[in-house]
Amino acid sequence: MPIVGSARPGPVPSVVGMITMRDLTKRFGERTAVDGLTLDIASGKVTGFLGPNGAGKSTTMRMVLGLDRPSAGTALVNGRPFAELRHPLREVGALLDAKAVHPGRSIRAHLLAAARSNGLPGRRVDEVLALVGLEAVARRRAGTLSLGMGQRLGIAGALLGDPAVLMFDEPVNGLDPDGVLWMRRLMRSLAAEGRTVFVSSHLMSEMQLTADRLVVIGRGRLLADAPMAEVVASGTRVRVRSPRARELAAFLTSAGLDVMVGPDGELTVSDASAERVGTLAHEAGIPLFELTVRQRSLEEAYMELTSESVEFGVAEPRVEARA
Amino acid sequence: MSGGGDMNEGRGMSGGMGKGGGMRNAFAAEWTKLWSLRSTWWALAISMGLMTVMAFTVGRSVVDNNTNAQSGDDQGIVSVSGTAISSVDLVQFVPVALAILMVTGEYASGMIRPTFTWVPSRGRVLAAKALVVTSVVIPLGVLLGVVGTVAAGFALGDWGRFSWTDATSDILAFALYLGLVCVFALGVATLLRSTAGTLTTAFLGLMALPMLLMGPAASRPLAENLPSSAGRTFMGIAEDAPYRGSIGLAVLVAWTVASLLFGRFILVRRDA
Repeated sequence: MPIVGSARPGPVPSVVGMITMRDLTKRFGERTAVDGLTLDIASGKVTGFLGPNGAGKSTTMRMVLGLDRPSAGTALVNGRPFAELRHPLREVGALLDAKAVHPGRSIRAHLLAAARSNGLPGRRVDEVLALVGLEAVARRRAGTLSLGMGQRLGIAGALLGDPAVLMFDEPVNGLDPDGVLWMRRLMRSLAAEGRTVFVSSHLMSEMQLTADRLVVIGRGRLLADAPMAEVVASGTRVRVRSPRARELAAFLTSAGLDVMVGPDGELTVSDASAERVGTLAHEAGIPLFELTVRQRSLEEAYMELTSESVEFGVAEPRVEARA
Repeated sequence: MSGGGDMNEGRGMSGGMGKGGGMRNAFAAEWTKLWSLRSTWWALAISMGLMTVMAFTVGRSVVDNNTNAQSGDDQGIVSVSGTAISSVDLVQFVPVALAILMVTGEYASGMIRPTFTWVPSRGRVLAAKALVVTSVVIPLGVLLGVVGTVAAGFALGDWGRFSWTDATSDILAFALYLGLVCVFALGVATLLRSTAGTLTTAFLGLMALPMLLMGPAASRPLAENLPSSAGRTFMGIAEDAPYRGSIGLAVLVAWTVASLLFGRFILVRRDA
């Protein structure tokens, strides 16, 4: 059963719902917030949008929604600029800032105004309120909602028009663990229905569980655009313990491997398989006590990708592969 | 409707759906937003109360002037509806504040961004707000005019002169003035974005500035052509009308159109 309710007769065909950016650039005076971003956000996937604070994530999303005008380049939704969409809520649902609602208006009236702006029937309001679990507080004023409820209201607004493209900026902020789980399932099922889900977050562990694909930016520039598995796998390490660790380290280094010796004599070999390290140790006749493959967490991968952009400002894309 | 279908036939469909639907939807959204705020109902109630008090007070002071020992301030028998609408100077600020808040309230809360993602055409958003303002404020003006005329009538008693023709034209002119001045304020609010700033500007521009500039002969022509002065001439309540009422209306309309166009010019160019 589709998660957003009955308005859609069947799953979205996988061809719809593209977000396309070409050399998208935004300058605020001297500062370049978004610097020549070229991206295709495809449908049927959750695309995680990562980057340090001030990397330009929100500005990018605001340009896609026509709120900020690009200094150069284009951002298109379904092949058209957002401003040209006749019924934007039916094509793109967005949650940028959950607090950006008039505090004096009831949440039902807020959604009703949104529905009317796009010619949607009033019953859609009740459907999305039920979907996000806010029916009981429908008459409450938006200003009285907790952070988590406000976030749900924003999500209700994004789902209102049953759109093929969804953009969420930090959607799990302020949600309790149940809410986080609910949000993760929602995003997964929206993508499973063939929709485009473009979501920014600071929570790496959450992204690792939710996203299929990652886009990482730093200082407005693209650092990575690759499937999640590729980003995480690219930094696989092998941990080795041996009674003759120093000897082994020297041998592995001479074989061209990148070896780090830990304080307790434990070796960490970067970008090598366990098979390779084990075979080399055997050739050298050095006994091994432990040989463990450690997958890099997304957090570590992210830190490596963004460290340069945080410290030095410029970085070449480290992961260039595209699916 | 299916988002998928919408996309596939997107170009064709959006062309075939006509222009009227977009404006109608934008109007419906602004209408819903306005009436779902308590401040709107408060503004209506306060404007009624203020109109009653002001019309009664102005009427009483005419009676007092006519009946006190001094003869220099006597006004004789005055028009009841004319007395009522001369309280516009103060009363106008309530609907003007309502119009201002339709824009500045959204900037203050951040609501302006959802508004623009619902209706990406900013010109259309502003036009819808202007239409909502006029369709609320003009009927409100008629109601205020009636209430004020009744209150002034009570206060004036025998010193009041009432005619249906005068009352009808006075009240309609008053309602039209309020509608136009509120749209004028809406344009200023779009430029300035802040509630306090726009209210101050409106107070200075509609009340303080005309009074100040009316003094020196050099600035008098300017004062006479400010929106509120033109409005007073149009409503027939200016002390020495410098030109005909219809010219007053034309000047006021020019101010309103200029304010809206300038507001729109800035709005479509500014990042939200």
